[in-house]
Amino acid sequence: MTSMSWRHGMHISAVLALLGVAAFPIYWMLVTSLTSSAETFADVPRLVPDLSQLPIYNAVFSTTQIGVWLVNSAIVAAGTTVLSIALAILPAYALSRLQFRGKGLLGLCLFASQMLPEVMLVVPLYAIFVTLGLLDTLLGLILVNSAFTVPVVIWILKGAIDSVPVELEEAARVDGCSRIEILLLIVAPLIAPTIAAASVIAFFHGWNEYVFALTFVSSEGLRTASVGLAGFVGELITPIETVMAVGIIYTLPAITFYLVAQRYVVAGMTSGAIKG
Amino acid sequence: MNAYFRRFSVGALLVAATLTISSTMHSFAAEKEVITFAASPFSSARGPQLQEWVKKFNDSQENIEVTPIAIPFASFANTMFTQMGGKGGPDLVRFDLYDFYPAVAANLIMPIDGIIKDEANLRPVDKYLKVDGKRYGIAFEISNYALIYNKALLKDGKVPTNFAEFIASAKAASGDGVYGFAYRATMAESGGFWQDVCNFVYGFGGRWSDDSGKLTLNSPQVVAGIAAYKQVYDLDVTPKGADAATFRRMFSQGKVAMEIDNSAVMASLMVKGPDLPIEVARSPFPTDAQGFVLSPITVNANTKHKEAALAFLKWMMLPENQRALETAYGGSSFVATPIAYTEEELAKRPWLKVYDSDKAVSIPQLVTGHEIKTPEIQRIILEQVVKVLQTDLDPQAAMDEAQKMAESRVLAK
Amino acid sequence: MAQQLLERNARTGGRWTPYFFIAPAVVYMFLFQGYPLLQEFTLSFTETSLLSPNQSRFVGFGNYLQLLSTGDFRRTLMITALYTLASVVFSIGLGLATALLLNQQMRGRGIARALVTIPWAAPPVAVALVFSWMYNAQYGIFGHALRYLGFERLGSENWLDSPSLALTAVLLTTVWQIFPFSSVVFLAALQGVSPELREAAIIDKADRLNAYKAVVWPTIRPTVMLIALFTTIWSLRRFDLIWVLTQGGPVGATNTLVTELYRQGFVYRELGSAAAVGMVGIGISFIVTFAYFKVMQRAERARE
Repeated sequence: MTSMSWRHGMHISAVLALLGVAAFPIYWMLVTSLTSSAETFADVPRLVPDLSQLPIYNAVFSTTQIGVWLVNSAIVAAGTTVLSIALAILPAYALSRLQFRGKGLLGLCLFASQMLPEVMLVVPLYAIFVTLGLLDTLLGLILVNSAFTVPVVIWILKGAIDSVPVELEEAARVDGCSRIEILLLIVAPLIAPTIAAASVIAFFHGWNEYVFALTFVSSEGLRTASVGLAGFVGELITPIETVMAVGIIYTLPAITFYLVAQRYVVAGMTSGAIKG
Repeated sequence: MNAYFRRFSVGALLVAATLTISSTMHSFAAEKEVITFAASPFSSARGPQLQEWVKKFNDSQENIEVTPIAIPFASFANTMFTQMGGKGGPDLVRFDLYDFYPAVAANLIMPIDGIIKDEANLRPVDKYLKVDGKRYGIAFEISNYALIYNKALLKDGKVPTNFAEFIASAKAASGDGVYGFAYRATMAESGGFWQDVCNFVYGFGGRWSDDSGKLTLNSPQVVAGIAAYKQVYDLDVTPKGADAATFRRMFSQGKVAMEIDNSAVMASLMVKGPDLPIEVARSPFPTDAQGFVLSPITVNANTKHKEAALAFLKWMMLPENQRALETAYGGSSFVATPIAYTEEELAKRPWLKVYDSDKAVSIPQLVTGHEIKTPEIQRIILEQVVKVLQTDLDPQAAMDEAQKMAESRVLAK
Repeated sequence: MAQQLLERNARTGGRWTPYFFIAPAVVYMFLFQGYPLLQEFTLSFTETSLLSPNQSRFVGFGNYLQLLSTGDFRRTLMITALYTLASVVFSIGLGLATALLLNQQMRGRGIARALVTIPWAAPPVAVALVFSWMYNAQYGIFGHALRYLGFERLGSENWLDSPSLALTAVLLTTVWQIFPFSSVVFLAALQGVSPELREAAIIDKADRLNAYKAVVWPTIRPTVMLIALFTTIWSLRRFDLIWVLTQGGPVGATNTLVTELYRQGFVYRELGSAAAVGMVGIGISFIVTFAYFKVMQRAERARE
């Protein structure tokens, strides 16, 4: 009994330590944003937020463009999500259910695309953007971000479709449904948790993306939050509390969104996403 | 035609339609001829005043309108180069000198001779904006370097006038959470690090190259400058690793006694810490030479609005608009032509006199004769300086190595 | 007749159906990845400036030879290998430990599982900024903590500024950011371990470690291996985090292939050399992937 509770105590402390490590940098961002300049440079650090500094969160909305940046990031992230799922669901189904020549090659290419660094493709993509008139548009960012998420999403969706019993489809086939109807009406609802999981991944990619947003968008009104935040680096004097406040405003929606969607992510992964 | 195929064509049409709409939307708005002007200060604290100044132009014109484009400093040059190299980009671009020469060499900006009537009236650094006798830019912003100090933190409020005094003052001021001096010494801030190293080296009489373009990275004067940099580093009087934004912030909180910086920084310090006794003096080096920031306004060679762009430049050079631009800078920078200040204005911004000293010798923060290769030579130099700072590598040996590497790797190519 | 054929195709999945299914994605991926990649491949054999990308000079293998001839590039390869290996080992190790910890029954397990994944949801740019503030020598919390614990020297050093500590600092940040992803996936995989089997093993008096070895590990092993591969490939191309933290410095101490690529292309503005660096990186990724599948195949055969 004692050994049981001792073990239990160890376990609880280990979990708490882990949670501390995971949450601390975000907590520290919050503390730094809510510390007065004088205390920021004190010899003894302030370990808890100074709530009297809260008005800074009001102030940064007027001193920076963070409001606009967030809206842009949200548009890019949402667009990336929708486009990625739309482009990925058909090939995922084909890879899972249909036999065709070049299937192996397609799988290989999808995997290989995970190896391409964004910074390498910036220059050739710029030329393509000029040709298509996509420069300085959020649509352009959505299109290029999706190119990086589609393979992952295909991969995840394929895993989920693999685990849907084929018999369900055969019954529908007998009823005269086309493949596309089967996919949309029968398979898609069954793998809804996985679609949600893949959506979260695509959304984060769009929300976080930095290199393309930096190069392809120049209008201030179209800047995303990642670029806006990184733009503080190298300015003459930017108070660290402002940078951290903007950082928190940019980070918290992502974390909140994740915590809300987290059930689906885990469910999605469990339902056969990455089974090896 | 089967169902899903139809659905694809609808989707494809939608995408195509969106593309078309987004690309044509711009062209509807314009009644006036709209040109764009990209400059990093538009996104800084001085942005609103500068935009206001541009608006004056727009109000004065019937047919032309200038739209300011704000791009953060750190990503400015690469964004511009990617866009201009891709045959696009804004019509007017404010470059730093560092990026101006590569842009000229790649024909990204066009010659604009004949815009300025009376060249004798310009500040002397204007000479750097001509390449092979052709003018490629007009100074939009000029900023010199000097020693900025917090009088309250210096012993007896006395400012050091030579390097030995400077070392003594920095030591005396340090302690109790106060740092005697602050400068940059990290590769993560290589741009600012380079500016600081240039000031030390130029102040000790060093130059990166001689008049014939031969590299002089290991000349006794350069080595003396690097050794001085190291001497300061080893004193433990600097907040090591603090980036410039942080140590300037510390300065405005009374935690840093001295730094060597340009007038733009001085002006922003005056805004952030108006209660501190901040003053400016000549940098405490053996010679008067210091680096300077020169940012010309240029015309994109891809522009389809050349005449409109030139009209803006002509307007900019009118005396009242030159004065208005310098006023918009709020004492942070000078413009192409010298502005005569009233006593009252000088009393409000006394630092202007020091930054505009007759004795000042302004040297570009570039390897003269190798302007385009500067980024690579700069990295070699800075990495050697980091080695000197972080290890006990002898400055002479380090700079000999830098000279060797720059000659064999960069210039041989 | 043709009409009929098409209709049958659509209904029953004829010869062309799979191609209709994959066509949009394939076209799309070619436009935004395949074609630019081909262009980069061509670029890598030329000397091209960022400032005039339309004027290139063919130099054959010049860029590659130039790279391989410098010690700096060999060092970059070493740093890349070190960074990748450490990222994989530590993030998988920590991810696995986390998954096992959070797989046991306890109160508030759901909340703990959610909270531990916070790092993964935080944007890399924000992460890099807060970590560089935490590493600050004077006011950073790491320095404060180390000095408080009596490590005067270590605590007064600016980690990102020190050639010996910068890579560690970048790695700490990386592992913190990426370990939750593997732990989420491992947790999911652990649901596949049947409780009966596990109980049977424990009743068998097999101790915990043996039970783990016999029952848990075989089930999650394929997942761990696959995540290891993904982490490797993603670490080889990670950019934002390293660039914002150190720009690959000091003195190249954290310079990986991707930061080197960016430096060649956007600091030195030589697109040809940058493309060559990128191609070397992709080559390495391919070799790693190939080796992975070979090893997996052999392991599979050995078990059979």
